[in-house]
Amino acid sequence: MYDRSMPFEATIKWIKKETRDTFTSALKISSREIQRAYRFIPGQFNMLYVPGIGDVPISISSSPLDHDLLHTVRVAGDVTTALSGLRAGDVIGMRGPFGRGWPLEEAEDLDLLIVAGGLGIAPLRSVARHILKTHAAKKRGVHPRRILLYGAKTPKDIVFRDEFPRYRDIVEVFLTVDRADPEEYWRGETGLVTKLFDRLSIDPLCTIAFVCGPEIMMQTSVRELILREVPEERIFLSLERNMNCGVGLCGHCFFGPKFVCKDGPVFRVSEIEGLMGIKEL
Amino acid sequence: MKKLKKKLKKELKKELKKEHIGFLFSTLRNSHKIIGPKIEQGVVVLGEIDVHDIPAGYEDHQKGGSYRLVKGERPEIFSFSTGPDSFKRFLSPPVIEMFAFKSSRTGMAITVPERQGKPLAFIGVRACDLAALKLYDRVFLEGPEKDQRYASLRKDSLVIALDCSYPGDNCFCHAMGTGPSVTDGFDMGLAELNESFLVEAGTIAGQRLLDGLPLEEATEGDRKEKAERTERCRGMMKKSIRTDDLPRLIYRSLDHPRWMDIAERDLECGNCTQVCPTCFCNSRYDLVRLAGISPRSREVSGTRVRKWDSCFSRNFARVHGGNFRPSRRARYRQWMSHKLAYTVEQFGLPGCVGCGRCITWCPVGIDITEEMEALRDVR
Repeated sequence: MYDRSMPFEATIKWIKKETRDTFTSALKISSREIQRAYRFIPGQFNMLYVPGIGDVPISISSSPLDHDLLHTVRVAGDVTTALSGLRAGDVIGMRGPFGRGWPLEEAEDLDLLIVAGGLGIAPLRSVARHILKTHAAKKRGVHPRRILLYGAKTPKDIVFRDEFPRYRDIVEVFLTVDRADPEEYWRGETGLVTKLFDRLSIDPLCTIAFVCGPEIMMQTSVRELILREVPEERIFLSLERNMNCGVGLCGHCFFGPKFVCKDGPVFRVSEIEGLMGIKEL
Repeated sequence: MKKLKKKLKKELKKELKKEHIGFLFSTLRNSHKIIGPKIEQGVVVLGEIDVHDIPAGYEDHQKGGSYRLVKGERPEIFSFSTGPDSFKRFLSPPVIEMFAFKSSRTGMAITVPERQGKPLAFIGVRACDLAALKLYDRVFLEGPEKDQRYASLRKDSLVIALDCSYPGDNCFCHAMGTGPSVTDGFDMGLAELNESFLVEAGTIAGQRLLDGLPLEEATEGDRKEKAERTERCRGMMKKSIRTDDLPRLIYRSLDHPRWMDIAERDLECGNCTQVCPTCFCNSRYDLVRLAGISPRSREVSGTRVRKWDSCFSRNFARVHGGNFRPSRRARYRQWMSHKLAYTVEQFGLPGCVGCGRCITWCPVGIDITEEMEALRDVR
């Protein structure tokens, strides 16, 4: 194995602009050995490093079965701005993969409810891609339901918008926006993503939920799911914190006693039950 | 392993006359850099020392937010208690160069600096610092990825621990169960008596060191004296802390009004995190000199540096577009909860070792023992 606290070289294969402030870049690890040793599961993240600027945690938005290793980034700070200025062929540093991903085996035979808000779609796209890739392989039995609820600010902010039609036969996709721009035609829902729960009838006995988005949206989603009697043990959240080292020795990402970088970022709600409502933890 | 322990046990406790303490230094000096207590600017700090640098006979008077060192009457060599420094300063220094980088559009080269200098020998590590060292080992060596630099420094280091003869005025290690006498986790253990030091080896390396010293067989009286001194030291401790309801107390009190009260006194200077022997938080950043940048070829060279950080820093929990702990109340709560509750869950050891440094070096004298007692008050 390689040392994940030291960055290794990765080349940008291509960059795609997703929305006005979000882009996806495909990376290729330069070293053959690291490339071979590099294994990730959906929900894990990498630290992308622009030498001279710094590094930033970005979740992997492609599935391990996909050909390209994708990172979907919103331009927000120094490093992400620097990343957005790079071109195909440029070299950056990368460390990873870090953290605990989504429990895909547990979700295999259950109805999977994916709830995403904003850029929270990125680690969940990894799950959706994984479902698409593995769907055909499963021959026996009834396919469990796969539902994706996704809320963005405006129709322009919907990341991966062009992909959702392709999910249709396998994943039920529901989109909503907080507010539709008057100048843009929008046929979908308006309102918070949690409002979409009313449109579904889910069977709490065989439903598992993966949730990622702004903290307040995750809290509301958990409340809604518990109202619908989905047990806390089967609700998973992917948390966001300031991550600096990725391996649990810098202390920036504490969520109460949890290191989000190594214990998370994906947590079972029952694990963090007492901590969720507490302000500024 | 068991066999080794047995062997060590048999040779346990020898006596080193006080006038022979110099031998310990001269034996170590060839192979190690000796780090121990010395006086700098009126304070006992840690640094490279020789036997004469030990501030023998000095007494430190500590209060909340106050530290005074005076020449006293005590006959011991280690007559003082802990100063602001702990051994973390040497194993995980305040600023570390992690690697040097040179990058351009087409490539990135990284060079990790070689470790330089002799291995370190720590003299006079108190029980509290030993407990902190144990936690440090868990943090830096047992994570998903171990810190190579710490690992290499730690592996070669020699820990010579010491029983406390006198507690500091803010010490409460007896309550945290870490001291005042040292029991394990050292290479060599010392206990100061009237005439001599009682010496024991904790590892093979310690045994080897011990074999090179002019020792005499310890008597039953010596052993009794050691026990008495420990008991006396324990009895002299003024502060205490109740630990039976930890960590439950903290989890129960996360919304306690006392945090607001502390926040009004707190200056957020971060002194407590700097002097705390278990605080390990750090940040990395890139250091680029102007000479290292050539914009045309997009070349950048510089170093990546890791420095101590503190949960009291305003930006410690900041992410794009927000801060998870914007209030002072939340930041203080984070620190104290981490010490008293979270580390137990994270590493299986308490994050507070009872050294009392945070009380002494807090400019406004916030006292962790008092604040914890106040949390018990349910209003």
